[in-house]
Amino acid sequence: MTYLITLLVYAAVDAMACVGLSLQFGVAGVTNFGFIIFQAAGAYVAAILALPAQSANGAFQHYIGGWNLPFPLPWLGAAAAGAILALPFTFLVGRRLRGDFAAIGLLVTAVLLNLLVMNYVPLFNGDAGLAIVPAPLQSQVMTTTATGYQWGFTVGVIVLVAAVYWLARRLTESPFGRTLRAMRDNDKVADSLGKNLLQLRTGMLVVGGAIAGLSGGVLVSFISVWSPAAWTYAETVVLFAAVIIGGRGNHLGAVLGAIIVPVGFEESTRLITNANPSLPPNLLPSLQWVAIGLLIALFLWFRPQGVLPERKRVIAVPEQPATAGAIIRPRTPPAGDPAEHDAILQAIDVSRDFGGVKAVSGVSLSVARGTLTGLIGPNGAGKSTLLAVLAGTDRATSGTIRYEGQDVTGLPAYRRARLGLVRTFQLASEFKRLTVMENLLSAAPGNRGDTMRGALYGRRYWKNDEQATIGRAADILRRFGLTDLTNSYAGDLSGGQRRLVEIMRALMTDPAMLLLDEPMAGVHPELAHRIGEMLTQLSRDGLTVLMVEHELAIMDEFCDPVIVMADGAVLAQGTMAQLRDRAEVVEAYLVG
Amino acid sequence: MTIFLASVGFGLLTAAVLAIAAVGFTLQFAVTDVLNLAFAAVMTAGAFTAYGVNKAGVSVWVGLLVAMAVCAALSVLLNVFVYAPFQRRGSAPITIVIVSLGMALIIGFGIEAIVGGVNVSYAMSQGRTWHAAGLILTTVQFVIIGISLVVMVAAHLTLRYTKLGKSMRATAANRQLARNCGIRTGRVITITWAATGALAGLAGTIFAIDIGSFGPTSTNLFVVLILAAVFLGGPGHAYGAMLGALLIGVATEVSAAYIVPSYKYVIAFVVLLAMLAVRPTGLFGART
Repeated sequence: MTYLITLLVYAAVDAMACVGLSLQFGVAGVTNFGFIIFQAAGAYVAAILALPAQSANGAFQHYIGGWNLPFPLPWLGAAAAGAILALPFTFLVGRRLRGDFAAIGLLVTAVLLNLLVMNYVPLFNGDAGLAIVPAPLQSQVMTTTATGYQWGFTVGVIVLVAAVYWLARRLTESPFGRTLRAMRDNDKVADSLGKNLLQLRTGMLVVGGAIAGLSGGVLVSFISVWSPAAWTYAETVVLFAAVIIGGRGNHLGAVLGAIIVPVGFEESTRLITNANPSLPPNLLPSLQWVAIGLLIALFLWFRPQGVLPERKRVIAVPEQPATAGAIIRPRTPPAGDPAEHDAILQAIDVSRDFGGVKAVSGVSLSVARGTLTGLIGPNGAGKSTLLAVLAGTDRATSGTIRYEGQDVTGLPAYRRARLGLVRTFQLASEFKRLTVMENLLSAAPGNRGDTMRGALYGRRYWKNDEQATIGRAADILRRFGLTDLTNSYAGDLSGGQRRLVEIMRALMTDPAMLLLDEPMAGVHPELAHRIGEMLTQLSRDGLTVLMVEHELAIMDEFCDPVIVMADGAVLAQGTMAQLRDRAEVVEAYLVG
Repeated sequence: MTIFLASVGFGLLTAAVLAIAAVGFTLQFAVTDVLNLAFAAVMTAGAFTAYGVNKAGVSVWVGLLVAMAVCAALSVLLNVFVYAPFQRRGSAPITIVIVSLGMALIIGFGIEAIVGGVNVSYAMSQGRTWHAAGLILTTVQFVIIGISLVVMVAAHLTLRYTKLGKSMRATAANRQLARNCGIRTGRVITITWAATGALAGLAGTIFAIDIGSFGPTSTNLFVVLILAAVFLGGPGHAYGAMLGALLIGVATEVSAAYIVPSYKYVIAFVVLLAMLAVRPTGLFGART
């Protein structure tokens, strides 16, 4: 009986931790190789909150605190400790650092914190660790070893796991969760669509940290001891193995993985050892780690989606169009000079150097409101770099960028996107494991469920916003003739269809100006023509477009004016007809 | 002053071992694009290979050569059977990092399953102790520093002047472009795995000689030093890794002389996190 209880509590603690990791890694794509330190922090804090002062037990162990606090304060403290510990790592998860470098930073932190806690005795009794941590309500019940108490504890912990699971699901199955998944699939694109990556990732580190901390608090009050040997860096790998095998992004899979990997492995090792007492003591635990390493590699190769894959979110398309007219909101230009062609975007002497190479040098240009402006130039002219600098996905080395009369040079991409200045990418940039509909929905601003708090309030809080957004997305899909693909994964589409998804998604942000990087590259000529007509229609509705394109026939038909770049500088500007008459343009581009 | 100079001597020794490991790790990353967290486990495999040879009654210096060969082969196999297939499939860099962590477990604990959890030492003579300009080092320790200097010069000459070295740098800078220029990148990558694997074997064995008594988990903390050296110099930069190793090696040992030795890794850790936070491209890397 005791064995069954122990098994259940271990399974529950592992399941809780795995759900936290599944949120971080599976949903948000934050690879936290230091996950175990958050569990450790929760365990230590719960222990010192529950323990009496160190002198009470004859000072046989040393630790800070010792507040002798009643249940449930130690568990709450454990969750808080995990959450607070996440904050110093914020600097690792911003826009600048590669995800794998950040993961290594966290891994090394886990290795080092373990070493420090092991060696510094006054903090948590060093290598020996803390012992005789009181169980919840220990002083109120006669004996904590009674079966009744043990079962009560077990049921309580399972209820707690259910609560954590419910919370994780609520976050995941919301517009906020969709944003997290979009960031996971392509963070740079999510940034360009107005998502604040730093805030999102910090949020997930904190939530995952709190869940990990709580699991540590529960564990320590059950086993009553906690030492550095319980949280070596490799323990994180076990949890990763569990989430990968169970199915990342599917929290039920994470629970399943927790039961298969940590619990299953520990128990089978124990059973084999009991049956064969003559085996060397180190052999089976070592082989167990080898097996975990093998399982990770084999699953990532043969079944990367895990036993229970992330499920598809199918969304029904409303029959009736939500709006009859334009698919973008008509924008009124800011008050002031109503000159017919006032500039919406201006670049003033903008340069971008890459270690001495001037990709863009001293470009000044101005894009007039409501135009479909083309940007052409030979390969390496700096067109894509200029576009990136204008959108904020790359920084200008010098110069000023003004948008709607405001200096936006220092604003990151997501802030410019929120002002209505949105770019698309030259390379495929769809969110692969989101459906076409979800790709569109993820870009819509202002959904009440697209914040952590809104998601926690639940579906009723954001249902109306969601319905309105779905209606708008359905209208755009209808306009582009892609209703049939609504619930297809974007990663399964053809190259041309992906370009369309990208344009539609950009339109969902409700932009005032689109920066398109070769939107028709690799697209069937007929489809390219339709995209051109669509853009013309949109610019009549008030949208401004700056478009990089190689196909001169497209420029001839749709773009006016056209800007020519060569060697990082603007060479000329005018209608295509005018440009064809200019010798230096013809020499730089049209011939060579 | 005496303590300071003696600790500088130990620092140079640590830096010598570290430089070989860091150059191996950073070149591996630069050319093959794999952030191979199993590197330290391969080092351990090298140390125990040399131990096996040594235990059979052969000099550890012969064992060192065997270790280099074994680790070169092991690294090539890792690439052929694990990393390259994942890369060909277009797996995300983070997936390959997770796989490499899995490989680290398989190799590291595989060794532990075979040799058990106890620490071992080579049967070898340390030679006499030399006192020179305040430094106190044994003959073997001078040999280790000498080996490291030879490896650094060899790495420099190879990268700078040979066709192979130029091909490696070209592959590191832009694999596709290098291939289009007629460089057989597949072969360059295989050779890189072999060469950096041999460096791992070398580093593992002299690390084991240096610390005297070693076990399957001895390199766990050494990884912190390797990563700190690599990121200080900028990941992918061989000369950066050399300088990083020198700075980290001396800084940790000198600090160990004045604070509790078990905290000596803290300085490397702080350097690593600071570099990740402020300048992940390293001292030599370009600003982004």
